[in-house]
Amino acid sequence: MSLGMEKYNDFAEALEIIDDEDMRFEYIIDVGKRAKKDAFPTEWQVDENLMHGCMSRVWIVNEPKDGRHYFRGDSDAIIVKGLVTMMTESFSGLTSEELSELNVEQVHRLNLGALTTQRQVGMLAMLEHLKKLGLKNAS
Amino acid sequence: MSGVSKLNPTTAGDNSTAAFDVERVRRDFPILSQEIYGKPLVFLDSGASAQKPRVVIDAVRECYETYYANVHRGAHYLSQRSTDAFEEARTTVAKFINAATEDEIVFTSSVTESINLVAATWGRKFLSEGDEVIITEMEHHANIVPWQMLAQEKGIVLKIVPITDKGEFRLEDFEPLLSDRTKLVAITECSNVLGTMVPVRQVIKLAHDKGVPVLLDGAQGIVHRGVDVQDLDVDFYAFTGHKLYGPSGVGVLYGKWDILNSMPPYQGGGDMIERVSFKGTTFKEPPHRFEAGTPPIAQVIGLGAAIKYVSELGMDRISAHEQGLVAYATERLKSIEGLKLYGEAADKAAIFSFVVNGTHPFDIAAILDRAGVAVRVGQHCAEPLMDRFGIEGTVRASFGLYNTRGDVDALVAAIEKAKGMLT
Repeated sequence: MSLGMEKYNDFAEALEIIDDEDMRFEYIIDVGKRAKKDAFPTEWQVDENLMHGCMSRVWIVNEPKDGRHYFRGDSDAIIVKGLVTMMTESFSGLTSEELSELNVEQVHRLNLGALTTQRQVGMLAMLEHLKKLGLKNAS
Repeated sequence: MSGVSKLNPTTAGDNSTAAFDVERVRRDFPILSQEIYGKPLVFLDSGASAQKPRVVIDAVRECYETYYANVHRGAHYLSQRSTDAFEEARTTVAKFINAATEDEIVFTSSVTESINLVAATWGRKFLSEGDEVIITEMEHHANIVPWQMLAQEKGIVLKIVPITDKGEFRLEDFEPLLSDRTKLVAITECSNVLGTMVPVRQVIKLAHDKGVPVLLDGAQGIVHRGVDVQDLDVDFYAFTGHKLYGPSGVGVLYGKWDILNSMPPYQGGGDMIERVSFKGTTFKEPPHRFEAGTPPIAQVIGLGAAIKYVSELGMDRISAHEQGLVAYATERLKSIEGLKLYGEAADKAAIFSFVVNGTHPFDIAAILDRAGVAVRVGQHCAEPLMDRFGIEGTVRASFGLYNTRGDVDALVAAIEKAKGMLT
């Protein structure tokens, strides 16, 4: 796949190198903290951008440009912010076709062993949400 | 009324002079000895559901392995044994809460069902448009929504007792709400979020002075203090097995027999009828009138074992042990910079809700989890209470009889670690 997947590979490799579950957890928190500095506009924190079904609030927006999808996301919880950021940065820059080909395997390769099953399910829900947003904007 | 026997007063608290050996008690709970992510489990989510002692697990297993069959209808040995064990558990429950007779004990699936039962039967029969039901600002959704449904259906009015910023229930806020239209006071005995103990004895006295019956949601209260329904003179008392160290799937509704007997059936089906024909059906007396279908047999028997277990430990001793933890945990938690505790009533049970400045409760709970500390996070089925405090949720650490000062220390250390990681 194309340019967006470089970010994905960076995340996946970083998480593969870390062999301690607690450290992996801290890595996700750091991703969240770093992303917090690049403020998500408060005007985007509206109900229509809310992803439903999460324990904390999650907002995701899709900005199509030149036939490719770019995502940005936010959460009021820093760990979730880290997870959302990994997802949105990993899967930005894809075409609609590439986006629709993403599957569970890509999420599993992120090797988020530190996460409970519940949050892994959340990550898969996020992937589905990205695809849905992308396809909606493509049509 | 048939089959009524005068029961002996509860024996809970008989061991009040002996020391409470929490380390010995912990050995009764097999689940507590494990490690989570390589760290000793610190279980602080008993307010959601408590762990089970070996005697409860054994009672349920013994039922299934040696004498399980359906109750009340079998013409065979196993059914008779199951029925005997099931009804013995009813007597155990009745003694534990000091009901006048075991016929005042209705088995349900949960507190939620117990309250819905009262709303759907007593409420539908006796309440009409404009009648008022008093609840508090700190109710669990289980004691809000059934009344709201009745409000939609019949036009009854809910009156809400406010609580103070410290989460206190004050009689001076309650008393003015009692009016000529008040038909029921339905309140929690102990807040599942704040730990606040409501002065229920005075509430019942004030309500009864106006001829108003009282329903208590005892889901949290009975676990920490036990209850004597006759001494309180409460009209309805609802509690659940799984928070009282018993199995999930079984709840109890206590009601004064005359009141229960005035109520129409809840659900129709088997085991609640005297005679069924297509011309009409006649119903059994309480409690069986309200127990349609096959009941949660092994769960009821397990609840009986749980009650015997806590009774042997002594509710007074359990309460004294937990109050020691309340004092210690309050002091330790308040020493954490940036931690805001919700619920500082003078009389409170071992339930602690808090937020930490600059952090999200979800993040704190996730890091606590990694440290082996199990807590709950969110709104705790008490959204109006969250609105009252203008917050989206809290972390909640709720203690049970098996928790220790060491658990408090582990909680505090994990919160400090989380603060370090998140801020």
